[in-house]
Amino acid sequence: MVPPEKTLLKLLALAGLVGVLLVLPMALSDRPFELRMMVVIFLYAMLGHGWNILGGYAGQISVGHGLFFGLGAYTSTVLSLKLGLNPWLGMAAGGAVAAAAGVLVGIPCFRLKGHYFVIATLVVAESVFQLFTAWDWVGGAMGLQLPVKEEGLLNLQFHRNKVPYYYIALGMLAAVTAFVWWLEQSRFGYILRALRDDEEAARSLGYSPVTHKLLAMALSAGIVGTGGVFFAQYVLFIDPFSVLALSFSVVIALIPILGGAGTVAGPILGAIVLVPISEYSRVLFSGTGRNVDLLIYGFLIMLISVYRPDGLAGLFRAKRERREYVPG
Amino acid sequence: MQTRIPVVRCIVSFCLAFWLGLAHSADEVRIGALYPLSGQVAKSGEDTVNAIRLAVDIINNKHPDLAVPFAATEGLPALGNAKIVLIVADHQGSPETGAAEAERLVVQQKAVALIGAFHSSVAATSSQVAERMGVPYISGESEATTLTERGFKWFFRTTPSSRTQARDFFTFLRELNKRSKDQVRTLAVVHENTLWGQEFAKSVEGYMPEFSDFKLVADIGYQQGTADVTSEVQRLIAAKPDVVFHASYDAEAILFARTYKQYKFSPRGVMAIGAAFGSSAFREALGPDANFYLVREHWSRDLASKNRAVAQVAKLYRDRYGKDMDGTPARAFAAMMTLADAINRAGSADPKKVRDALAATNLAPDKLIMPWTGIRFDQTGQNDLTRGIFVQTLEGAPRMVWPFDQAAAKLVWPRPAGR
Amino acid sequence: MSEHLLVQLFLSGIGMGFIFALIAIGLTLIYGVMNVVNFAHGEFLMLSMYASYLAFATWGADPVVTLPFVAAMMFIFGLLVYYVLVRRVMRGSMNAQIFATFGLMVFLQAAAQFIMGADYFAVRSGVLSGVLEVGSFTLPAPQLAAVVGASTATGALYWLVFRTGTGRSLRAASQDRQAASTLGIDVDRMYALAWGIGAACVGVAGSLLSNFYPVFPRVGAMFVLIAYVAVALGGFGSIHGALVAGVIIGLLQVLAGFFISSQLKFVPVYLLYLIVVLVRPRGLFGRL
Repeated sequence: MVPPEKTLLKLLALAGLVGVLLVLPMALSDRPFELRMMVVIFLYAMLGHGWNILGGYAGQISVGHGLFFGLGAYTSTVLSLKLGLNPWLGMAAGGAVAAAAGVLVGIPCFRLKGHYFVIATLVVAESVFQLFTAWDWVGGAMGLQLPVKEEGLLNLQFHRNKVPYYYIALGMLAAVTAFVWWLEQSRFGYILRALRDDEEAARSLGYSPVTHKLLAMALSAGIVGTGGVFFAQYVLFIDPFSVLALSFSVVIALIPILGGAGTVAGPILGAIVLVPISEYSRVLFSGTGRNVDLLIYGFLIMLISVYRPDGLAGLFRAKRERREYVPG
Repeated sequence: MQTRIPVVRCIVSFCLAFWLGLAHSADEVRIGALYPLSGQVAKSGEDTVNAIRLAVDIINNKHPDLAVPFAATEGLPALGNAKIVLIVADHQGSPETGAAEAERLVVQQKAVALIGAFHSSVAATSSQVAERMGVPYISGESEATTLTERGFKWFFRTTPSSRTQARDFFTFLRELNKRSKDQVRTLAVVHENTLWGQEFAKSVEGYMPEFSDFKLVADIGYQQGTADVTSEVQRLIAAKPDVVFHASYDAEAILFARTYKQYKFSPRGVMAIGAAFGSSAFREALGPDANFYLVREHWSRDLASKNRAVAQVAKLYRDRYGKDMDGTPARAFAAMMTLADAINRAGSADPKKVRDALAATNLAPDKLIMPWTGIRFDQTGQNDLTRGIFVQTLEGAPRMVWPFDQAAAKLVWPRPAGR
Repeated sequence: MSEHLLVQLFLSGIGMGFIFALIAIGLTLIYGVMNVVNFAHGEFLMLSMYASYLAFATWGADPVVTLPFVAAMMFIFGLLVYYVLVRRVMRGSMNAQIFATFGLMVFLQAAAQFIMGADYFAVRSGVLSGVLEVGSFTLPAPQLAAVVGASTATGALYWLVFRTGTGRSLRAASQDRQAASTLGIDVDRMYALAWGIGAACVGVAGSLLSNFYPVFPRVGAMFVLIAYVAVALGGFGSIHGALVAGVIIGLLQVLAGFFISSQLKFVPVYLLYLIVVLVRPRGLFGRL
């Protein structure tokens, strides 16, 4: 049992963190690089949460999640271009389409186990990517440009100052984090973990693996899809290479893995570590074309898999468990 | 939209900015360059930036023997010999990163103008940032036709668009047909599936009604990075085109050329857009089989016979960077020179003045290393004085063969059989 | 639409398929023995292609000549990867194993770009860059070599696995690790051997590929996707399954590319994979 002082301390720390995050933009108003980096951290953390529901809690590793990101982005963008649909509604639509796609993919694929499933997700994502580059109606390889509208919350576009994007992303991250935290404690979360750890046993207790996995997939895909919509509104331009590429799917998986799959803090930790490494190494090593950030990622992942498969979150948890295990 | 104005903060920042601005403009003009320096086209990105670096060096330092503008002086004369400071940023081929870097360059690095971006998709987003922030953006090598169709006021492009380039293919063939009894009638287009390849194919299709003396018998797109091109080549063989228009990057160019040889596919001509089929990597990989490929180029060393500066710049480039210059670095060089010329005419590094000077650009051909008739921007920001050339690899070296009246070597047509 | 063309397409497709098969065989062997998918397999291919190219660029050595050396080098590299990385995650969860080779993949790709840069390099006119004319049909030499190579590799692997003592030990270790070690089999050594041989197989494939395909840091990515599909289609762990599946894929992509769309020629392959694996989760010949 965690002593009450600990809980209070934790809450205070959390409040402090939230406070800092809320006022940070004022310090960053003329530092677009850092501001944008924060937005990217929030977005990736959110995507990581989404992936985590399926990969961490349900134990189904997907390396094709970019598919849902892209579908979300394309749905809202196409609806905006063809029907003038408001991007917030587009976000709902994008999330819904992504979730539906997740279920469609899951129905056949969940019959596969372990590595088969991983490869199936890879294959599906790559197929959709190739199809989109050849599909003229969604712009093919040329992509889609969102029209520049009057800026404001209604249109989800901000031109002169990117700070509102920061708050929107932060808000979305907070909402998803709260949701995942709740999910973890809920019965559904418990069942998912049971299925992950021992599917046979869980099944024998009467829990249907498929329905639960499909639900997890829908949630996972839906969250990632709404992230895609946000991205589309942020850049105002999408093409298959920026929202559907396999390399992007890899990043979506890497972040929660590094941070700690199956934990609430994992995706956030992963994003906090990986995004700055990527950003700063790009800026510092510009002109060498040497991919230093990927070199570091890859090495970190290998290190984590060997020493701390629980990811960075595992580092903290192990400490706490050790401390609590003091006999006496 | 209402804005609150914190007065004291405003005064302090204004003074600061003024002082900083003064401090900067006294001895330097900061230009941001956006290029892909990691990922798949990192090498091309690097080659392109090197050409810009070369241009900046020529401007900033005394090169008395060079027949290039600003070579004789140090810095920009009209700005008190202020030197250009180039700040290079890597956009990694991502439109979103490009936009972010553009903003960083302008706001945090105080760039007064931007040059970029190689990828058209990145040029699109980064120039949108420039448009919003009121900073001139010049592109020497981003070819997507739509870039100059957005009604932008701050975007200028010296390179011809994809559509303009495609037109040269038809012009060339018509001229060829006039000179020989064997008429070229049928064509096929082979193109990779990213924006560049797709645009080229669309441009070609778009010209078919105008050039109705030709017929398009096959349009073959392929996935970039494909492992095998047997089916593509077999489709070409089945379609029996007289001529193939080809849009590929390096790796597939090599693969296609080898597969053509394996299946003995030899149309009368293979005409390529982009540098791949004439690049040194291609020539090294294929040896004698690289001969007779035609490339619609922007620049050739053979232009030196009419223009001394061409040879001088090409030599400098080679000495410094160990590689031969080709069309893309050459264009970037020209773009940087154009920008410098505009800043100089503006007499100031103020973005608005530079922009207006750019719009009024009228550079004579003898000031360029390109085969163009000058640089002058129309109201969409497009340079409308560009000219294309065709280069053919002959005996392992790229030789300029068109326009016929300026050719350095005689065109070999049709391709010798069995090649 | 002539028969000649159809036959030529078949021949080309099958030839290409043997190349895919050769890449897939190594992958399926590793899986068959120890239930680990090597997500860095494409990078093994890339490394062997770089090795071939560098031998050519430095000493003018023809890839045919350097093939055995490249295979040997990859064998050692496979052992190295096992002992340094994979062995340590064997005790962990399946996820840890997936992450490990995944991380290796990202690392190797980045390392290749770091060291060699992003340029394309190609071997020029090796011995195996020509074609063999059989009647009016063209058989590209690298693919012919792959037919020979893949068949030999399959045969050799079968002989090794089913007719030698080592093979018996390998099979025992793959079936029941505990039981095998109580029988005195050094399971660790068997696993290492599987990695070594698997890597050597893909080394041969890379050496053959370098005859006509340029090498660059990401060259493994496209091929490995095909290899995964081949392994899953053929059945994880089945060597002849990988061979058959590789050939099917080679054939299908050429036919689809010709008759349907060259831009989307792999979509039917992916579709086939999904269909087979859904109807028969263990693939064509797998033993799940």
